[in-house]
Amino acid sequence: MANEHPSVRARTAPDRPRRRDIVITALLGLMVLLVLLIGGVLEPGAWLAASLAFSALAFIYFLTAVTRGAPRPSAQITRPVVSSELESANAMLEKIAVPVLLIGPGGRIERANPAARAFLALGAEGGLLSTSLRQPRVLEAVSAALRGERGTVVEYASLAPIESHVRAFVEPLRMPVAGPMPWRAMLVLADETSSKRAERMRADFLANASHELRTPLASLSGFIDTLRGPARDDEEARDRFLTIMREQTDRMRRLIDDLLSLSRVEMNEHLPPSGEADLAAIARDVVDSLRPMADARAITFELSLPDAPARITGDRDQVYEVVENLVENAIKYSPEGAIVAIEALDNCTRDIAEHAPERLAPQSARLLLAGPPFDPRQRYGVLRVRDNGAGIDRRYLPRLSERFYRVDGQKSGPTAGTGLGLAIVKHIITRHRGGFSVESATGTGSAFSVFLPKPVPDADAAARVLADTASGVDAG
Amino acid sequence: MNSPAQQGHHIVKAFSEELEQLSASVATMGGLAESMISDAIDAIITRDSDLALDVAERDKRIDALQHDVERQIIRLLALRQPLAWDLRVCIAALKISADLERVGDLAKNIARRTRALNEAEPLPLTKSVERMGRLVQRHLHEVLDAYVSGEIAGAVGVWERDDDVDEHYNALFRELLTCMAGDSRLIGPGTHLLFIAKNLERVGDHATNIAELVHYAVTGSELTAERPKGTPLESGAS
Repeated sequence: MANEHPSVRARTAPDRPRRRDIVITALLGLMVLLVLLIGGVLEPGAWLAASLAFSALAFIYFLTAVTRGAPRPSAQITRPVVSSELESANAMLEKIAVPVLLIGPGGRIERANPAARAFLALGAEGGLLSTSLRQPRVLEAVSAALRGERGTVVEYASLAPIESHVRAFVEPLRMPVAGPMPWRAMLVLADETSSKRAERMRADFLANASHELRTPLASLSGFIDTLRGPARDDEEARDRFLTIMREQTDRMRRLIDDLLSLSRVEMNEHLPPSGEADLAAIARDVVDSLRPMADARAITFELSLPDAPARITGDRDQVYEVVENLVENAIKYSPEGAIVAIEALDNCTRDIAEHAPERLAPQSARLLLAGPPFDPRQRYGVLRVRDNGAGIDRRYLPRLSERFYRVDGQKSGPTAGTGLGLAIVKHIITRHRGGFSVESATGTGSAFSVFLPKPVPDADAAARVLADTASGVDAG
Repeated sequence: MNSPAQQGHHIVKAFSEELEQLSASVATMGGLAESMISDAIDAIITRDSDLALDVAERDKRIDALQHDVERQIIRLLALRQPLAWDLRVCIAALKISADLERVGDLAKNIARRTRALNEAEPLPLTKSVERMGRLVQRHLHEVLDAYVSGEIAGAVGVWERDDDVDEHYNALFRELLTCMAGDSRLIGPGTHLLFIAKNLERVGDHATNIAELVHYAVTGSELTAERPKGTPLESGAS
């Protein structure tokens, strides 16, 4: 009776209860016969014959149960292997860090592993692929695969919210399903941002380094020629030249340091930091370390920091570098005896974070140089550095974070930097999924603000942030 | 949550599927428009005339998609007579597809100018154009994300930040003027670059439009506050 469903029985009921059932049934039958005998209904001879026949029947049944059970163990060995293979394949698919999707007819997502859900910011249910991945060439390849055509590899780049380069492998799969549309498309996404970045970084670094080092090198070799030639015995000129040469080599070293630092930051830009840091404490440390530099120019700091720590998600050393760059710039571009105001704010909404509520001047220009996608639930820790220097004309603002860009008229002078400071700031802030904005009015001064996301308190929001940052392609 | 793809509470299941298909079609159009803008900017930076030609070619597909979206909407209106939320989704999709079609035209125009630009000497200002282009592309990306996810926060964020695009445009405008005033040979390519910047600025406007439509489709009310504008000083430049 149970033989029609060997697979069910094999898993749910082992054969021992069945044998026991047969024995119990047989015993019950014998008992009934015994009662009938005692009651005098049956002749002893008939009773003996009936009970013998009954026992024989039960014994045969018992034997068949045993022999039927015999081939089952082999089935038991193979079946669980198949299911455990499936299970392990499933488990691997669930755990693998590579996004894998199965696309059904009409471009509907039939299956997506967790990596794919995070990468494309998919909801719980499937939906159509074209709504979550708006890459025309990938969609074309997928629909070709759904028609059973050959699989292809498509590369695409996405710039928002974080630059990412992805290679998409599309393969048609024929499914054993009835119906007119047996084809499915498997879509595997490989994030190649790091290697692409490394490639470009190398090229950029070489180009920048060779270009920017040429000027100080040319001047060095010029001075060396002069010292060997016309100024060979001129004590006074030698001293002066050596001082200048020293300055040039210092500049070259600074340049290389900054370039290396920029390269490092750019390399990791798509990997968000995980630590926590206290913005107010960092600001205090920076101010302490830069006080000598400020004193040399009779510049005073005006601090407005909260007493409680302003905790943000971030890498302390990098945030320190950001604040140091901003305060250093403010000192450099302020006249002697000026005031540099440093303000830290905790728990701000995006609007407050981006710009101070009141403008520096009625006609001041404001610009967001880098910023994460708008999220009304996110709160930020803000650091604002204000100087009352000459200010920057609004037409130069968009180029401020460009590497080696210097606003006209700042190219020379003893305080000239490498032109990389704000580029470094921008890249660090982008890595932190924070924002960087500037407000300036000529004649009044400039205010630079950086804002960094607060650590997310509840698990739900944490998951969201994780999904956002892991995706790098698509964030709501 | 509220996205057309997910609000599947219609008694007629086919209706929900049609709405979902509609939003997928609009998203596909958006993806195409995004890729056109992105590739047009790439073509400027890398001086790649073939890529520019390819971008111009893709405009036909976006036009075809728009017709397709229109047909779907007319069918929906005729057969299902949608009301309230469904009606708003249809109308918004209709308008968004028109905006996206315009974005495609602008990208095509940029691509055409790129080919003219490549015949002249390289200009030093392509970096600024790239920065502005990437910003606009990002705005477009964010509003389309808001459209498919139905989360209006992203749309409102873009809507409020339209003046960033204007600020970039004005800065680029002035720089180009200075550049052209200094060297008369740059007037030809400079003018092309100026129009490219103007086109990008208009793409930004379309992104703002889409943000308004997304807000309307989801909430039923309009984004009422005054559209962000540059300060009055800037009106001379635009």
